[in-house]
Amino acid sequence: MPHTELEHTADILIRVWGQTLDELFSDAATAMAAVMFEHRRCAGVEKTFSLTADDPESLLHDFLSELLFLSEVESIVFSDIRARVEGNTVHCTARGEPFSPERHRGGTEIKGISYSGLRIINTDKGYQVDILFDV
Amino acid sequence: MQTGIRKVGTMEWEVPLGYVPGMRVPGRFYLSDDLAGSVEEGAVRQLAHVATLPGIVKYSLAMPDIHWGYGFPIGGVAAFDMEHGIISPGGVGFDINCGVRLITTPLTLKDITRKRELIEALFKTIPTGVGAKSTLKLSARDLLDMMDEGAAWAVRNGFGNETDLEHCEENGSMKEASSADVSQKARQRGMPQCGTLGSGNHFLELQVVAEVTDERAAAAYGIEEGQICCMIHCGSRGLGHQVCTDHLKVLDKATGKYNIEIPDRQLACAPVSSAEGKAYLGAMAAAANYAWANRQMITHHTRGVFASFFGLEHEDMTLVYDVAHNVAKIEEHVVDGRSMRLCVHRKGATRAFGPGSRDIPRAYLNEGQPVIIPGSMGSSSYILKGTATAMEKTFGSTCHGAGRLMSRTQAKKSSSGADVQKTLAKQGIIVRATSPAVIAEEAPGAYKPSSEVVRVVHEAGISLTVARLEPLGVIKG
Repeated sequence: MPHTELEHTADILIRVWGQTLDELFSDAATAMAAVMFEHRRCAGVEKTFSLTADDPESLLHDFLSELLFLSEVESIVFSDIRARVEGNTVHCTARGEPFSPERHRGGTEIKGISYSGLRIINTDKGYQVDILFDV
Repeated sequence: MQTGIRKVGTMEWEVPLGYVPGMRVPGRFYLSDDLAGSVEEGAVRQLAHVATLPGIVKYSLAMPDIHWGYGFPIGGVAAFDMEHGIISPGGVGFDINCGVRLITTPLTLKDITRKRELIEALFKTIPTGVGAKSTLKLSARDLLDMMDEGAAWAVRNGFGNETDLEHCEENGSMKEASSADVSQKARQRGMPQCGTLGSGNHFLELQVVAEVTDERAAAAYGIEEGQICCMIHCGSRGLGHQVCTDHLKVLDKATGKYNIEIPDRQLACAPVSSAEGKAYLGAMAAAANYAWANRQMITHHTRGVFASFFGLEHEDMTLVYDVAHNVAKIEEHVVDGRSMRLCVHRKGATRAFGPGSRDIPRAYLNEGQPVIIPGSMGSSSYILKGTATAMEKTFGSTCHGAGRLMSRTQAKKSSSGADVQKTLAKQGIIVRATSPAVIAEEAPGAYKPSSEVVRVVHEAGISLTVARLEPLGVIKG
């Protein structure tokens, strides 16, 4: 299981694991997509982008924020998100479907990704990070 | 109550210096003994973290709806001096100027004969939920004007009247707004969303004034028992969320640049007087103005629905007041007998200026400003009034709502949306939402009882109850 939800009263807190940073970033994005919409599939939409930041946490923060932005302004529901991390840069290919009121009404709006407690650590399971979404 | 925290008044608790390292002032929060057990350790720690920020004045404060958030706790209030103090997006949140307004009608319960149709019409007219878009086509220029002018832009374009502006905190427009500091990305998000309600805990509720406890203040506010009202709760939508995201990044770097030590990265900040601090204040104020324009447009559409159902004129539905509960403002306060200009952050807290304040409408001058406290779905909402005690103790602030007791996941596990909807229907409350999950997440049991939160602020004297409103129907995202 690449992610689990932790208890948080006001917002949504998830813990994500990955053997590599590529996996961690991909799993974090997939977990975010699952928080937002129940019904997701790959159906003809693909976006690619690259981002650079000063440190891995900022990179993860900016990467997830970019996906939120794209999802909202281009009305996309993402389902399969692949990240490749090279140094301080992430390259992303995200696939999904156009937002459809019938399938996606009632989704959860994530307002932002918090820096609170956002620390990528090395454990015996690989990389681990807790991410707090303001909903 | 947790170790180290001591009671200093009937409803007042102190978090002493040293609770976390580096505190510059103690923390203070307001809570009854009944609610004391519900405070999370994480929330108290966040309150203490705020006390470590440069330029904080008197106390790091929290209202009785305190709970664990990010950066500041929800329910947090902190004021910083303009010379050495900071401004932080962590003290405002992503939903800049999330706020609430109350509109009265000349109707009473006996006039509401087609409640289900009325709720349905409101749901169809006001874009609600994730992905819902505005029917209004804005030009890039319109959006800039909206961010610079706030509710006045909406009124100028036919979405309300001059009295509406008088009855908004800041008259619906923060003068510090600088649309130039709002990114292209934020503008892109804001363009299609103006006049939309959003989702989560945002709502439009049909209510009846069930009880008036302060006749004089109620008369000044134009509220009477049995009256039908509408309450609107929403914020600055994606535009505000993006402003927070963008400026958090800038301030994250500025924190190091100005050698500010912070215990939580979400408390990223910069001196209020710095270029980065000013840019955030300008962009935040622009987003706040967008939120006022947004609530103004929703008000206009609500009036339109009532006009067609009841033959009312738009002017028959008066805006009592509109308050912000996620915002940072430059305000004048008396501290230890000295007048000071301060940057007051309220995150999940409401301004509660007392009688005689020059920043409140003339008609309310003798009573203090109206404070609007929305209940959770299906529970009571309250109108309070600001007090001199709030001016002395909390930089003119009070609570903002009920405050969650249960996470969204817990709430969904404990009852289904359909069950909650049925239970509320038995009480005569019609809920129209985009999905059952939204209803389950926002079930009344997931929140602290609003009555208890209001009792605390009333007994502490930081605002006083004027009227209680009960829900009749609600639309939600």
